[in-house]
Amino acid sequence: MPQRIKGLSCSFFLLFLLGSFQKKEMDSTLTIQFRAYVHGMPLELNKKYQNPFGETFEITRFRFYAGKLAPVYADANFRSKIPSHYHLIDFSDCATTRIELPVAAGIIYNGIQFQMGIDSADQNRGAQSGALDPSKGMFWTWNSGYINIKIEGNSPLSTQPAHAFEYHIGGYRDNYNTVWQIKLYSTNEQSFLISKEKKIMIEIGMDLDYLFDGPTAIHISEIPSCMKPGELARKISENFIGTFTGLTIAPNP
Amino acid sequence: MKSIAIITVFGFCCVVWVNIPFPFLVPNGFPSPAYQFQNNPRTREGFELGRKLFYDGILSRDGNFPCSSCHQQFAAFATYEHRLSHGFNDQFSFRNAPGLFNLAWKKELNWDGGVNHIEVQPLAPLLDPHEMAEDLNHVISKVKKDKTYPALFNRVFGSPGINSQRILKALAQFTASLVSADSRYDQMKRGLVHFNQYEQKGYEIFRQKCSRCHQEPLFTDFSYRNTGMAVDSILKDYGRMRITGRKEDSIKFQVPSLRNVFLTFPYGHDGRFVTISEVLEHYNTGVIQSPTLDTGLRKGICISSDDRFYLIYFLETLTDSSFIKNPLFADPNSGVRTKAPAHLH
Repeated sequence: MPQRIKGLSCSFFLLFLLGSFQKKEMDSTLTIQFRAYVHGMPLELNKKYQNPFGETFEITRFRFYAGKLAPVYADANFRSKIPSHYHLIDFSDCATTRIELPVAAGIIYNGIQFQMGIDSADQNRGAQSGALDPSKGMFWTWNSGYINIKIEGNSPLSTQPAHAFEYHIGGYRDNYNTVWQIKLYSTNEQSFLISKEKKIMIEIGMDLDYLFDGPTAIHISEIPSCMKPGELARKISENFIGTFTGLTIAPNP
Repeated sequence: MKSIAIITVFGFCCVVWVNIPFPFLVPNGFPSPAYQFQNNPRTREGFELGRKLFYDGILSRDGNFPCSSCHQQFAAFATYEHRLSHGFNDQFSFRNAPGLFNLAWKKELNWDGGVNHIEVQPLAPLLDPHEMAEDLNHVISKVKKDKTYPALFNRVFGSPGINSQRILKALAQFTASLVSADSRYDQMKRGLVHFNQYEQKGYEIFRQKCSRCHQEPLFTDFSYRNTGMAVDSILKDYGRMRITGRKEDSIKFQVPSLRNVFLTFPYGHDGRFVTISEVLEHYNTGVIQSPTLDTGLRKGICISSDDRFYLIYFLETLTDSSFIKNPLFADPNSGVRTKAPAHLH
């Protein structure tokens, strides 16, 4: 009998816990805008730039996977419910760089968290659809796995045919994992309240200088391509996450 | 009141097509399969759609290379008598086409295990420029424009629409259903037949010298091993290392099943061994030493000519003649073929 009472009180406690999690409804939306910059100016595809090493380049294609996107509670005792789906951010289609995220209103948040790339659990689910449809051209067929970041362009310094450079960055196994958990806070440590009426837009800025001049120096003349999982892909992914420089919070126009 | 309910239920059944469940039976003695049709419930309609796609050239760029061009039922779904298979524009495939059977038990597919799920396996040959040489979006648009497919997809998936996911799930319904478990060996295990003395002797030698890697009942342990084959100077195939990037995996390939081994010649990842005798002789005298060589093969495997004689008797008992003649797995248009058609040579 005491066992049973213990069980009952336990389940009441669980119910209470569940209730406290569930009472926050997703009754507002937060707009998240990814924006890439080169030397402080918004990236334009097919436009000539110079990287920090003075190499002229232009980007023709720029895509990456961001998933499990959620705002971070300012009160560290609470955690947001993390959605499980992914977004393919494609800078040739500006609609994909803006995400409308359902969130709970009346809460103070101070950051955004997301996962860059597709984690191993989601890499092994077989045929998928939506953002993970292999017809999006972000899937390696001979070594199953999603390309987490695809950056293609050209540079007179590339030694590849047509002076192209191509960074297809992926890999989720063992030491070659290119998936990263990212938490970003606003540049001036500002927190923000989301209400039903006052909607907010948050810009996630990306400074592409860090893609080349990160923990590993990537000179286009020396490394014009990376097309498979491995040490180099992991290093480039590390540079890539360094491009996420912070949040800018603005009222949603 | 009762009659209204009956009429309603009847009417509902008439309006909504109910797909017939098609349970997957695990043969006695087999372990639990890795693929259990999770999120892809097996139905007769789904299986038939996958079968139709498998035999349809629509999945290849020029229409000449359906999956079945390299995976022929009479060869246990390997390419009969070919080291490498022929693909688009008279090109050779990179590797020897493996037989397709008992795939539901494979966690990783291909000789190097590069494919992590049976549902995404068809993407490799489909998009390989040497094989079916197609573009995924182009395949989808061709299938959408076809006269018969849209209705079939609608019926199988319960709503209109064709995308890569549906094509792949339908194919998996067919390929995961290719179960081979009715060879003379299986019948012996079930007590239906007795091995003759040659087969029995061969079975004993097999258990002593081969079953460390070719473990019963699937006749593979799915591990990756370097069996001492020289690297071909043109193919430069380093096997598993191509996937993991690790030196320790150099020249390692997944242990192939020996089921239907009499039908799947030539042998090896590049089809370099034409006969079973050549394979056995390789283990006897041909193993090449290298740092990643399987530890059990440092001295080769001593296979005497007597051993070889009996082993071949045993290996022949692994041929599943009901599998290669099963009309359920045959080309829906032409039925079971018993030998290679002339144009496939």
